[in-house]
Amino acid sequence: MGRLKQKGKAGAAKAYMTRSAAVKKLQCSLADFRRLCILKGIFPREPRSRKKANKGSSAPTNFYYAKDIAYLAHEPVLRKLREHKAFAKKLSRALGRGEWSSAKSLEENKPVYRLDHIIKERYPTFVDAVRDIDDALCMIFLFASLPSDSKVSPSLIENCARLAAEWQLYVMHTHSLRKVFLSIKGVYYQAEVFDQTVTWLVPYQFTQTIPSDVDVRVMLTFLELYQTLLGFVFFKLYTDAGLVYPPPLDVKKDEGAAGVGAFNLQEAKAARPTTTAAKSKVVEVDGKRVSSKDVRQTIKSIATSGSGDKDVEMPSVDAEPTNEDDEEFVEDTTEENPEDAPSAPAFTTATLPTLKTLSTLPQSTSAKLFAPYTFWLSRETSRPIFEFIVRSFGGRIGWPATSGSGSPFDESDESITHVIIDRPLVQRANESEAEKERRRRRKYVQPQWVVDCVNAGKILLEDLYAQGKTLPPHLSPFGEHAEAYDPTAGLVGAGEDEEMDEDEEVEGEEDEAEGSEEEAGAARPAKSALKAAASAEDDAALRAAELAAEAAGIDYGTFEKEAKKAQKKAKKAEAPQEDEAEQDMNKMLMSNKQRKLYERMKYGQKKRTEEVSLLRRVPTFACGLTGALCSDKIWSRRSAPSRRRRNGARSRDLPRSVLLFLYCFV
Amino acid sequence: MAAAEAKKLSKKRKAAPEEEAPAPQPSAFPQEVGLEMGSEDEGEEGGDESDDGEVEDFPEIDARSDTEDEDADEDEDDESEDEDEVDGEEDESEDESDASDDSLRPWPKPKTVISDITGQPKRVYPEIEPDYDSDSSTEDTPNRVGNIPMHWYDDLPHVGYDINGKKVLRPARGDELDKFLKTVEDPESWTSAFDKNMQMDKPLTAEELDIIRRLQENENPDANYDPYEPTVEWFTGKGKEEVMPLSAAPEPKRRWVPSKWEKQKVIKIVRAIRQGRILPNKPKTASAQPQFYAIWNEEPATGPAPPPAPKPRLPGHAESYNPPEEYLPTPEERAKWEATDPEDREREFLPQKYGALRLVPAYENFIKERFNRQLDLYLAPRVQRVKLQIDPESLIPKLPSPSSLRPFPMYKSLQVPHDEVRVRAISVSPDGAWVVSGDESGVVRLWEVIVGKEVKRWKFKSKVGAVEWCPRTDVSFFVVAVEDHLHFIIPPNLPGPVLTATQNVLAPANLPPPPANPSPVKWNSVPAAQSSSDSPILTLNLPSSPEPPKQLVWHRKGDYVASVSEGQGGVWIHQVSRRHSQAPFKKVKGAVQLVLFHPTKPHFFVATQRYVRMYNLAEQTLLKTLTPGIRWISSMDVHPSGDHLLVGGYDRKLCWFDLELSDKPYKILRYHSRALRSVAFHPTYPLFASSSDDGSIQVFHARVYNDLMTNPLIVPLKILRGHAVRDGLGVFSVRWVPRQPWLVSAGADGQVAVWCS
Repeated sequence: MGRLKQKGKAGAAKAYMTRSAAVKKLQCSLADFRRLCILKGIFPREPRSRKKANKGSSAPTNFYYAKDIAYLAHEPVLRKLREHKAFAKKLSRALGRGEWSSAKSLEENKPVYRLDHIIKERYPTFVDAVRDIDDALCMIFLFASLPSDSKVSPSLIENCARLAAEWQLYVMHTHSLRKVFLSIKGVYYQAEVFDQTVTWLVPYQFTQTIPSDVDVRVMLTFLELYQTLLGFVFFKLYTDAGLVYPPPLDVKKDEGAAGVGAFNLQEAKAARPTTTAAKSKVVEVDGKRVSSKDVRQTIKSIATSGSGDKDVEMPSVDAEPTNEDDEEFVEDTTEENPEDAPSAPAFTTATLPTLKTLSTLPQSTSAKLFAPYTFWLSRETSRPIFEFIVRSFGGRIGWPATSGSGSPFDESDESITHVIIDRPLVQRANESEAEKERRRRRKYVQPQWVVDCVNAGKILLEDLYAQGKTLPPHLSPFGEHAEAYDPTAGLVGAGEDEEMDEDEEVEGEEDEAEGSEEEAGAARPAKSALKAAASAEDDAALRAAELAAEAAGIDYGTFEKEAKKAQKKAKKAEAPQEDEAEQDMNKMLMSNKQRKLYERMKYGQKKRTEEVSLLRRVPTFACGLTGALCSDKIWSRRSAPSRRRRNGARSRDLPRSVLLFLYCFV
Repeated sequence: MAAAEAKKLSKKRKAAPEEEAPAPQPSAFPQEVGLEMGSEDEGEEGGDESDDGEVEDFPEIDARSDTEDEDADEDEDDESEDEDEVDGEEDESEDESDASDDSLRPWPKPKTVISDITGQPKRVYPEIEPDYDSDSSTEDTPNRVGNIPMHWYDDLPHVGYDINGKKVLRPARGDELDKFLKTVEDPESWTSAFDKNMQMDKPLTAEELDIIRRLQENENPDANYDPYEPTVEWFTGKGKEEVMPLSAAPEPKRRWVPSKWEKQKVIKIVRAIRQGRILPNKPKTASAQPQFYAIWNEEPATGPAPPPAPKPRLPGHAESYNPPEEYLPTPEERAKWEATDPEDREREFLPQKYGALRLVPAYENFIKERFNRQLDLYLAPRVQRVKLQIDPESLIPKLPSPSSLRPFPMYKSLQVPHDEVRVRAISVSPDGAWVVSGDESGVVRLWEVIVGKEVKRWKFKSKVGAVEWCPRTDVSFFVVAVEDHLHFIIPPNLPGPVLTATQNVLAPANLPPPPANPSPVKWNSVPAAQSSSDSPILTLNLPSSPEPPKQLVWHRKGDYVASVSEGQGGVWIHQVSRRHSQAPFKKVKGAVQLVLFHPTKPHFFVATQRYVRMYNLAEQTLLKTLTPGIRWISSMDVHPSGDHLLVGGYDRKLCWFDLELSDKPYKILRYHSRALRSVAFHPTYPLFASSSDDGSIQVFHARVYNDLMTNPLIVPLKILRGHAVRDGLGVFSVRWVPRQPWLVSAGADGQVAVWCS
């Protein structure tokens, strides 16, 4: 006979710990425990059975892994926190007794903790750290724009602003910005650093006030961690890019509100010759950023390059040498230009791709999008946003003195090609001849043009975005999930209107990942025309669809074949409807568990289709649902079912089964 | 002592100016107070410091401070005292103030003489006689007996002896009247007290009166006691430091020789500082900037990185500052969004459209959303789940298509109306050509399956509970259960040999011998010659029961028929050949709902409300109890092979039992939306059907395999709808036509329908 098993001695009862038990074990205050959890990245776990984990009690509590707590128990930061507690006692005692000198010496030897080891533990490799800086960047940018008060010290805000500027400088220097989205919450930026997409949100430039129901201490603890993390990440990024970190700050310029321009990027080459070997290696691997996506894109473009008429799409940027000598930081031309040069022939003449051409392809397409242009910012546009965007894409930009000092040129500069202006058109009567002339030579565009160009990866027609015009809709470059409503789909079928076409091209972003631009542009109208053919009931509609297909550049033979196929498919789609009763009958043989799962999935599908149909407003052909749930990471709260909404669009980059993080407040 | 006194005085002098400032009263009468106090104090001080004449100036200040210390509230008394002085010296207030009365002074008056040495005037006091208690020594008490109990002299004429040894005679003491008169006449009598020693009343001195007064007022009896005397630091005060050591031990050397060890330690520290091992001024912690270095340069730890937190959802088109029009919410959507709680909202924002970027305002929930994200990061339990990536349709079991499992009933071929009366009982003849149906009005109709032609109609007095056709093929008759009777009826137009065979079975010419123990069921038959198809040839009278028998079941051989009535003991098995009825169970646990004969074995199924029991009739034993988990069993049928049992319940469940597998159901199906009323296996085709109160009949394909390994295959084939639901009642009964895949159903709407393939 084996030993008797006692209750609560093994299994979930031992593996989990309630929060109060954890606090008791660590012998620290709840606030310290929270701080530790934030710093160490320890979060509650949901036991399979709450009763088993809590000795039969079903009271609402949070559970932590007992091992996590044991791991916290010998944390140096915890020791420092205890020391700090003792220090606080000593200090208050000294102050109460009026022993100023001892208080002073105590204060001088105040215990401070460092987070280096935590950073190293949480992010064993640099890529892990880069993957996780999204939240850190959001926080840094938020705090950089906050006013200082009793809780948020000015030095903290200054540090945040410095970190934010350093990040922007790095992104501008490496031209790694990919997507920009002007949302109602702020500006979303997406950059690709070390093959990781980093997305961050910057609020618009307004004074934010911290609401009363927000616990600032929690935010500050996070900020503490994030500052350290970003410091180390930036150090590595800067050193790998051959720059000095931290970049020296020009105080005079900073006082003149030069913003990002107050920092000087310095090459570290002269300073440390020993690191060059390591650096060149890094550049080989990382600097070129041979992402899988890029490779795919390149292969696609090579495959289609024979038939492509891509000159429309390709910005003729690459051939021109960049004239950015007057920029504050000088590009490492020895690195960049040789890469740019072979990239152009790689596109046009479909030569055998070498690894080198493969690696150099993607960056050159849009990284120097604005290089041939010089921008002037009008007074009412936000300088930090557009300075960052334009300079990230290689353009030159100037601004009036009211937007801050440090403009490289003034308004009368002859090289200005575009003026970003955001005010209604007003006819000025007393315009001098020189002004008129200038006005004629320059293009006056609204700010959205810049962002749409960036997202489209090419220079769009300025007419649509001219000053005072009603802007075309601004769409998210991040796309929606696979089955979501596509606002561009309806536009193409409707007509061949120039504006629509342009629009459609602007939003042809989702397909960018799949194939090169031109292919996407050709494929979409064809697809839609075929869909129209499938849904066409009478001859007239078929005829119209045929015309549309012809306009889209599909020859008649293929159209007929495709149309037949599509019609057959449509018929097939009808047949299952007859089978529906049969399917319903088969459902009665499902087990309870299966039925519930099925109903849940069906519910989700129905909700999504409803959402789409609500947006579509006009009834179109029945969209065939793939049915497969898009794999994605899901955040959800028990109280907020809305969070279970899926967020597709990136599904193809993810493995088939992905860890789902479901978390709930207890 | 003198030094101490001087100290005290100097203290007082120090205190005096401080006290003067808040007390301006003395200025009102500076002369009197100054004078009188001065005289008193001079005397006092002089007495004490006879040898030290240099301290003239303090008495005044001292005195003033004294009076003020003592009783500042007695200033009024001082005033009155001044007035009283004019009247008489004996006033009490004078005594109280003890300032001016010289007679009270225990010390003599000084004489002022010119000093021979200094040439200055000085006061010279007479020598003080060193005597015990000088106060009492000056008193001239004549009686010298000492402190003895005076009652020793009570009966003697004298009270003691004087200093010369003479008797001191007892003073005359008046009687009570004299005493009284004395108290009236003598104004001093009330301040006098009886002197034991002299045996007479003596006036109290002013001092004594003062002591009495002080005691009465709870004060210290000593007039000179100063409760608020300033502290005198006797041993540590200035000038009073201990001069002489307490012990005579010589002072140790270590008190003045510098320590060697200390020196060594200091030298050590000094060396460390010189060598830079100790930084005398460490960098201040506040200004210590975090140092960043290449933290990822060394090899990472081998363990896997903790899983990164999931990234937040990327914004969609709806979040744009200038979204397409269709994303903008309608007023209804907006109102709905505003009505829902923030945590229940589908989106945390409402899409909005701005014409220009400069018009976009700040997003007011920015910090709140950031904060929520952080709460998510550290407060929310994360559960890792593998996301199912399947087509929901793939969850539906793949079954053969119904079209490949033909034939089965698909449509209603004909319908026989029963005058809108509920038809509860139907039965199909074993050759599959005829149907009898009995309704609640007592009408039993015999009709033909293919065209529905009614051949004959019988009318009974009350409702028909059950109708059952005898399964034998050589004879042809059916049984109708009405009230307490089972009527055996021979259908009309039978061929001759069959008719005679039937008549022989039901009404044999020579009746079998009556059984040994007669049962309460009476068998009454009409002789074969007189019998016709109009009336029953044989009638069984069952024990009376409020309801007609609800079920009739034939054994497959057609000799036994079982009937089930309401109540205890309602199960009867009737044997036609022996014309004998018996109750197989004395007592059954639970109300019997249904009974069934096993098609091949001598087994008998009895369904109570919840359980199905299987008995072996030959051995009279209970074989097994099946628990379908149904609250109330409504119907039951056994597969022709005898290995499978279907049980239907009023709680919409249908249970399939594999009798060889388990006494729990192999499959439980719940597909009808209302109570199940009837289930039936087809005798030859692999089909079964169930009918329900929802008015539908479901037809299933049920293939049973001979090997014990393969599970029965159940495929839903068809839902037959066509019966109307009346009063919540649908299809009461379904029966299969034996050799055809046809179905006969009887409904509450008074219709009997035939469903053909």
